[in-house]
Amino acid sequence: MTTISTSSMPTGQTSGFLQATLKPVPLWRRKLNRMLGHRGLVLGAVILAVIVLAALFAPLLAPHDPFEQNVSQRLIPPIWNALGSWDHVLGTDKLGRDYLSRLIYGARVSLIIGCAAALISGAIGTTLGVLAGYFGGRVDALISYIITTRLSMPVVLVALAMASLVGGSLKVVIILLGLLLWDRFAVVTRSATQQLRDAEFIAAAKAIGASTPYILVREILPNIMSALIVVITLEMAHAILLEATLSFLGLGVQPPTPSWGLMVSEGKSYMFFKPWVIVIPGVALAVLVLAINLVGDGLRDVNAPDGRN
Amino acid sequence: MLIYLLRRLAIALCVAVTVSIVSFSLLHMSGDLATAIAGPESSAAQVEAIRVQFGLDRPMATQYLDWLGKAVHLDFGKSFYFQGPVMEMVSERLPITMKLGGIALLLAVSVAIPLGVLAAIYRDTWLDRVALVIAVVGQAMPSFWFGLSLILIFSVTLHWLPVAGNEGWENFVLPAIALGYYAMPAMMRLTRAGMLEVLGSDYIRTARAKGLGKSKVIFKHALRNAVIPVVALAAVELGFMLGGSVVIESVYSMQGLGQLAWDAISRNDYPVVQAVVLIIAMFYIGLTFLADVINALLDPRIRTR
Amino acid sequence: MSVLLDVKNLRVDLPTENGMLHAVRGIDFQVRRGEMLCLVGESGCGKSMTSLALMGLLPRKAICTADRMAFDGVELLGLPDKKLNQLRGQRMSMIFQEPMTSLNPAYTLGNQLCEAMLEKPGVTRAEARERAIYLLHRTGIGNAEDRLRQYPHQLSGGLRQRVMIAMALMCGPDLIIADEPTTALDVTIQAQILRMIRELQREFGTAVVFITHDLGVVSRIADRVAVMYAGQVVETTDVAQLFAAPRHPYTRGLLNCIPVRGKTLPGSKLQAIPGVVPSLVGDVGGCVFRNRCSLADAACEQEPPMVNTAAGDKIHYARCHKVTAADAMQLSEVAA
Repeated sequence: MTTISTSSMPTGQTSGFLQATLKPVPLWRRKLNRMLGHRGLVLGAVILAVIVLAALFAPLLAPHDPFEQNVSQRLIPPIWNALGSWDHVLGTDKLGRDYLSRLIYGARVSLIIGCAAALISGAIGTTLGVLAGYFGGRVDALISYIITTRLSMPVVLVALAMASLVGGSLKVVIILLGLLLWDRFAVVTRSATQQLRDAEFIAAAKAIGASTPYILVREILPNIMSALIVVITLEMAHAILLEATLSFLGLGVQPPTPSWGLMVSEGKSYMFFKPWVIVIPGVALAVLVLAINLVGDGLRDVNAPDGRN
Repeated sequence: MLIYLLRRLAIALCVAVTVSIVSFSLLHMSGDLATAIAGPESSAAQVEAIRVQFGLDRPMATQYLDWLGKAVHLDFGKSFYFQGPVMEMVSERLPITMKLGGIALLLAVSVAIPLGVLAAIYRDTWLDRVALVIAVVGQAMPSFWFGLSLILIFSVTLHWLPVAGNEGWENFVLPAIALGYYAMPAMMRLTRAGMLEVLGSDYIRTARAKGLGKSKVIFKHALRNAVIPVVALAAVELGFMLGGSVVIESVYSMQGLGQLAWDAISRNDYPVVQAVVLIIAMFYIGLTFLADVINALLDPRIRTR
Repeated sequence: MSVLLDVKNLRVDLPTENGMLHAVRGIDFQVRRGEMLCLVGESGCGKSMTSLALMGLLPRKAICTADRMAFDGVELLGLPDKKLNQLRGQRMSMIFQEPMTSLNPAYTLGNQLCEAMLEKPGVTRAEARERAIYLLHRTGIGNAEDRLRQYPHQLSGGLRQRVMIAMALMCGPDLIIADEPTTALDVTIQAQILRMIRELQREFGTAVVFITHDLGVVSRIADRVAVMYAGQVVETTDVAQLFAAPRHPYTRGLLNCIPVRGKTLPGSKLQAIPGVVPSLVGDVGGCVFRNRCSLADAACEQEPPMVNTAAGDKIHYARCHKVTAADAMQLSEVAA
């Protein structure tokens, strides 16, 4: 026969048994750990940091003045070619300007344009998209109409035409791109918001009397953040590439300002015999855009909810 | 259903008109057209003469309505530069650009979707990483540079394909690749993301519980739902390709619509520019409509709303 | 009645950020043809994992081992996918908890219902369709013919779950695993569905493993019951015995928590089992219930044996040091 004790909780034995509750790691620390563990993100961030620093410290890093012309030194090949010299590590362009210096200063142009255009278009597009996705009905109809109109316009052509009339320059390019590139932001945030609109937690927020701006900013925005980050990086890269294209066609940044796109266009006539004049700036563009995309993807991966299987 | 289609058509026409109004206004507001045509060296009298000659002295609304009235009859006026009807020039160039865009999209989709599906199924394996690397690198290269590089490699060094022109099919290979490669990564990632999300959903678990084979689960159940956003994106990408063909056609010297537009822009030949903008806009609208129809066919939740 | 499902020492481990989660820690149970076994336990006790393990639907990272996991003599563990797919949907099927998301929104109900049956060679579309209509009727769905052409989003949760049940019955399986099929439904619908499941089960002679956290459900439909706690089966017997004479302190605690009209004095405190379920991450040893058990002592540091406390050839297992074979204990003797 077993006796039944009447004491409520057994003593001593429990302490050894209860699993030590693991001390909770703060959210920001966990996020940081995850970010550092994501190889793509780290790689992209490092490359981006290098480029940004190079751009910031351009005057200290560039071996020569990027505008300094020296016709006797034109079209010297880079260092890995037999005719190259350490004086001009990446060679010179058709006007004898040092390529490496122009490359470093060109980074400034690309970065400024990328950030500014993405910010402007991001603000416009996200506002439109969230409003359309959340309110639906006539608001959505109107904004969708605006988006459709914008999307139906061949933006490159219109931008070219306008730039041709106004005259290309850094400021013009930023404004043009900012005003024209918001469509993807709007489309993505609109559909993301739409998906959330019917979610239960939104209904719950409304049920406890949350105001619309509150819901938009505190409930919807954080949940579309991962999609938004991807779009920001995509569009930043997009803006950089578009500027390069505009400059390539002669309607973007004007010479003698060093823009990587402009450098490719300036070298086009020589490309069959001296390919480095177009390869080098192109690679620079690709590396910068690559770095930005890696960062965007990495952030999205880190922010994504833990995958179910 | 018919009413739905008619309504969409009406909206499409409105959008087309809006696009033309917007581009008309943007162009006329960007600068003085008469001065641009006359050139920087000309005198005030010459500029004034040109202004009257091309009817640029009339109020903007009048100019626009006049243009619209003719455009409805497919009369886009006369080119400032060539003195010939714009419509003729456009219809000559259009097929080439359409061909180019179509091939480019086809190439992009036929790489993007299979790659995306594989990357999702074999997630986190080498296959997935390779696909991601391709996507990431593909989106990083500027199209004009990629176009030039393709020429350098395949035409100049290897002599496999021609450098310029648009006569034979071989002329379209490189430009189509150059035009389409930029769209591929976005579609691949979207396919991959869509597949991953769908593969984690409950109804896939149900399908597996029913004993359906792996390929059936993937192709019948998963892909069907995952591919819906990709279709919409493909239409958007094609529209973008049509609009962005300017660069590629210029690099490859193809006599397409984009090249026409570029020449017109350099010469301030605005009737041509207006016409090209409108036409490309109409195409884009048609494509999005098509995408919506396909979307509705694929997602019953939209269809039976 | 022959044994249809024989599970011995089933273990499921899941690697997590904080260590290895031992979700299922060596459970044994059997299901005979045509019987309704209820697997009852609170959230996190491992009952869902068990069902997923049986059907081969565990997440990729999960590690599943067992001495034996046999369905009608066929060992399920390590079975190649092709063979498993011949069993799944055909001879063993599953009903999930969430009717709202368990059906593919892109295909009609008819399509999804007939799918599994059409996998069998020699079945025509007409035959499958007929069976689908028949089962929809039997599960209480009117206008069955029209429903076949409808899409999941056009139905309410209750209706969708009925469709899921019909879907599970399409191929005439020998075993259905139902993972809390009524939990996500309104209370009023729950009773209907439960009754329907019981009737269908009896009529078709299907064995059912019914997973639930609700003892009320157990009392209504079960033939036999296995009580799970923290990844283990702590008590298993037929339903009448469980309610009349529960042996394991956890079961007794659970039953104690249910207020009984007439017995529980108005104004008295509701009973609850003190303490919380311990974490199953990392090493877990000894009796896992001991931190909440009024009978626990030093002996409970050791893993308790599964003891048959019933006389004769009856079965009433309890995993506890404090019970002996053929013990007869009263419900009222359990201290609070």
